[in-house]
Amino acid sequence: MLTIYRVLVALYPSSYRLEYEEEMLGVLEQSNAESHDKEWPARLALAGRETMGLLRGAFEEHFRALAGFYPVPVFPNRRTSMRSEFRFPKTTVTLMTIILVAIIVTIEKAKAISQSIPPSSTQVGPIRPEYVGVVPAFLIVLVGACVLGVVGWAILFALQRSGMHRLSSVHPDAGQTKSTTLGLK
Amino acid sequence: MPPSLLSEPVLLILLSLADQPRHGYAILQDTRKISGGRVRLSTGTLYGALRRLLDEKWIERYEASDTSRGKQAYRLTAAGRRNLQVEVSRMRQLSRVASLRLAGTES
Repeated sequence: MLTIYRVLVALYPSSYRLEYEEEMLGVLEQSNAESHDKEWPARLALAGRETMGLLRGAFEEHFRALAGFYPVPVFPNRRTSMRSEFRFPKTTVTLMTIILVAIIVTIEKAKAISQSIPPSSTQVGPIRPEYVGVVPAFLIVLVGACVLGVVGWAILFALQRSGMHRLSSVHPDAGQTKSTTLGLK
Repeated sequence: MPPSLLSEPVLLILLSLADQPRHGYAILQDTRKISGGRVRLSTGTLYGALRRLLDEKWIERYEASDTSRGKQAYRLTAAGRRNLQVEVSRMRQLSRVASLRLAGTES
């Protein structure tokens, strides 16, 4: 499990890792050691909690490094205050985390491939497309359509959760009518 | 930053550091203890919150005698303690009103 935690901590921005990686790994080692004498459901819960926490933390720190602010308010209070501004639903955060991990893994893979190719001065000829049969092509299109469908559904679901679709049904004088009804003129 | 925007994990972390400086793992254990086992922070959540609290200067690093791996200690600053007191006062007032209202409903 510690190996997985190391990989997840490696997803954080380098500036963040420089400051906190050693501390975080120390705490993760202690948590992991403490969980050894527990039942497997408790160990599984701990592993799930730590994994999600690290993924979310990596996403938030990358977002901060790129945008200059955190994707969620610095100290959100979800229990005792209502905020009128837009809030990312959890599904959006999860989706963006998955996309971030996919991008980072792709970049790392590309780096590994580029390092594995020895430097050569020989000219590389024009790259010709490989022949693809009808059935594989159909399968590729089908899989692509399914992926696009899932992504589209996830975006629509996230927007629905945020309540944005209700904005179109809001009339400017709706609040006044409500106030009159309640005797709050 | 207005203190009324404290989330529960941040409030628990501040409470954990209120009586003495603690390092990361000790904060995790103490927040679980003071919440009665209800809140179990992950390491990622803890260090995200610690970084933000350091940025806001509500906490600071504390040079303890044991500074081995994973043993960096943190403590409240004067500003952090003041903001925590304001938050606790707000919660106490809210709790008092809630108790009165509920007692009025039940009677």
